Amino acid sequence: MTKIEAIVQPNKFENVKTALIELGVDGMTVSEVRGHGRQKGHTEVFRGREYSVDLLPKVKVEVIVDEDIVEKAINAIMKSAYTGKIGDGKIFLYKVEGAIRIRSGERGVGAL
Amino acid sequence: MKPIVRRRESLSFAQKLSRLRERLREPRWRRYGATMLAGKVAGVAITLLIMAAVSGVFFATVYAADNPVKAADVVNPVNTAWTLIAAFLVFGMQVGFTMLEAGFCRSRETVNVLMECIVDTCLCGILFYAIGFAFMFSHGNGFIGYHWFFLQGAPETYESTGVAFLAVWIFQFAFADTCSTITSGAMIGRTGFLGDLLYSICVSGFIYPIIGHWAWGPDGFLATMGASGYFLPTLGQSFHDFAGSTVVHTIGGFVALAGAIVLGPRLGRKFKRDGGGPMLPHDLTIAASGGLLLWFGWYGFNPGSTLSAMDFVGIGRVATNTTLAACAAGLTAMLYAYTLSKKWDVGFTVNGFLAGLVAITCPCYWVSPTGAVLLGGVAGVLVCLGVELLEWLRIDDPIGAVPVHGFCGIWGTLSLGLFACGKYGATGPVAPDNSAPLAGLFYGGGMTLLKAQFVGSAIITLATFGVSLAVMYAVNLTGTLRVSEEGELYGLDLHEHGISAYPEYVISSLAAPAGMPKDLTVHGAVAQTASKFSALTSPAGD
Repeated sequence: MTKIEAIVQPNKFENVKTALIELGVDGMTVSEVRGHGRQKGHTEVFRGREYSVDLLPKVKVEVIVDEDIVEKAINAIMKSAYTGKIGDGKIFLYKVEGAIRIRSGERGVGAL
Repeated sequence: MKPIVRRRESLSFAQKLSRLRERLREPRWRRYGATMLAGKVAGVAITLLIMAAVSGVFFATVYAADNPVKAADVVNPVNTAWTLIAAFLVFGMQVGFTMLEAGFCRSRETVNVLMECIVDTCLCGILFYAIGFAFMFSHGNGFIGYHWFFLQGAPETYESTGVAFLAVWIFQFAFADTCSTITSGAMIGRTGFLGDLLYSICVSGFIYPIIGHWAWGPDGFLATMGASGYFLPTLGQSFHDFAGSTVVHTIGGFVALAGAIVLGPRLGRKFKRDGGGPMLPHDLTIAASGGLLLWFGWYGFNPGSTLSAMDFVGIGRVATNTTLAACAAGLTAMLYAYTLSKKWDVGFTVNGFLAGLVAITCPCYWVSPTGAVLLGGVAGVLVCLGVELLEWLRIDDPIGAVPVHGFCGIWGTLSLGLFACGKYGATGPVAPDNSAPLAGLFYGGGMTLLKAQFVGSAIITLATFGVSLAVMYAVNLTGTLRVSEEGELYGLDLHEHGISAYPEYVISSLAAPAGMPKDLTVHGAVAQTASKFSALTSPAGD
C-alpha cells in the first residue's frame, strides 16, 4: 500500500476530489495548510506598509491506495490539479506498513 | 447644699452625665437651666424677626417680563430633533448592512465588502449634497428637480414640514445610503472596485434621486397622479410610499438584480439544479447580528418618515407595525424554510425578518397592527420563494438582496392597496390629517388604491431595471465591472486591497456545501437565457 500525499491549489481541490472518487478511491484526509515551494509568496499592504507573506494557503490531500492503482491515482491528481502556473503543488509517495479498520479490526488492503 | 464651684480636675463624659442626673434633681439647678434655655430661644426669635424685617428692604422679588412662546417655536425644534434622531438610527443601519454582507460572503472577499460599504457611504454623501438631494426633493417637473444644487439657495426649513432643511438633508442622505448599499449586496465577490465606484456614482447620483423624485418629490408625477391636470387623472388616487418600500428597497433590489445578471455568478458556483448550492457564509454571528442591527435602525427608517414628533399617535403606530411585520415574517420564513430542508435555517430566518421590515416600510402608517402581522407573514414566505427562484434562474445573489429588497418591496407597496385600514390619511407637522383616509381592498376601499400602487410600483420597477441594466452593461464595457479570473481565485481581498481579513487563519477553500445530491436535470428556457447572458457579458481577456 502506498500513501499519496498531494499538495494542490485550493481552487483545484474540488477537481482533485472528484477525480479520485471517480477512480474508486474510497477514503481521503484533507487538510488546509500553508506553504511554499520555489515561489515567492505574496505581498500584503497595511496602512501604507508592505508585508511579505511567503506562506500561501494550499490544500493537502492524503490517500492510501493499493499498489495497482498508484499510477492511475497519480495521473488523475496531476490532470485535475494542473494549471500550468507556479504554485500547482507537489505529490509525495510513502510506503505504508499497515492499515487497520477500527470498527471491524480488518487489516491490510481490506481496511482501505 | 453644695456650693457651686468649679472643680479643678476635668471630668470624663460618663462622669458629666451622672453629674447632670444629680443636678436635675435639684430645683436651683433646674431654674438655672431653664433661664439659659429661655435666653437662647429668645435670641433665635429676635434674629428671625430682624431677618424678616430687613429682607423686605434688601431683597426684592423680580418678575421676568412676559415672554410668549409661539407654537412654531416649540413644534419645529421638536420635529427637527425627532427627524435627526431617526436620521442617526437609519445611518446606524450601515453597520447592520456591513455586518450582514460581510457575514454572508466568503472570508476571501470580506475586506472587499467592508471597503465597498464604507466607500459607498462616503460617495453617496458627497453626491447627495452635490446633485442627489436637488434631483430628488427640489421643485422642477414631474421627473426631476433642478434647484438647490450643492445645497445652494436652500431655505431654512423644508417645505411645509417645518423641519430644518439640513436635518431633512441628512435624513434623506441616510435613505439614499441605504439604497446604494443594497445594490452591492448581490454583486459581492466578483465586482472590481473601480466598477463598484462607477456604478455607485450612477445609483447614488442619478438612478435613486431621479426615480425617487417621481414618488417623493414635491411635484413628482407619481406623487401627484390621479387628479385632474396630472398623470392618469381618472385613476383617483396617487402613489403612496411612506418610508420607501419602492423608492429605497425596490430600486436597490432591482439595481442589484441587474448587476448580478450582468456579472454572472462567482467562479465555482454551482446552482441547486446542477447539483450544487449556495456558497457557505463565513460568519453567521456577524450576519445575524447585522440583521438585528438593521431591525434596530428600521425604528428610525419608518417612524422617522413622519418628519413630525407632533404626530405622536402616528409614530407609535408606525413603530408597532414595523415590529409586528418583522416578527411575523421571521417566523413564517423559518417555518417555510423548514418545509424545504427539514432544518431550522438561520439564513432564511434572518432574511425573513428583513423581508418583513421591507414590506411594512411602505404601508406602515396606514395599516392596523393586525394588517402588519398579516402582510409581514406573507413577506416571510415570499422571500423564501424568491431565493429559490433566483437559485433556479442561476443568478448568484450571495445575501439574498434581490428577494428581500426587490420582491418584498413590491409586495409591501401592493399590500397597501389591500391592508390600508381606512382610518389614517396623512401625517403633518402639527397634527395628522385624517380627512381623506386611505382604505384598501380588504377594508372596503375598492380597487382604487391598489391600482395606484400597482401603477407606481410597475413604473418604478421597470424603469429601474431597464436603466440599471444599461448602466451595468456600460460599466462592463469599460472592463472594470468584473474582476479578472485570476484575481477572483486569488481572493478579492488580496487582489484589490492587499490584505486578508483573517491573516492568521487559512482561508477556507471549502466554500461550497459538501455532500449535495448530484442532480443534472433539464435546463429551463429562462435559465438558458440567463446563462447566455453571463457568457455574453464576461469581459474579453483579463
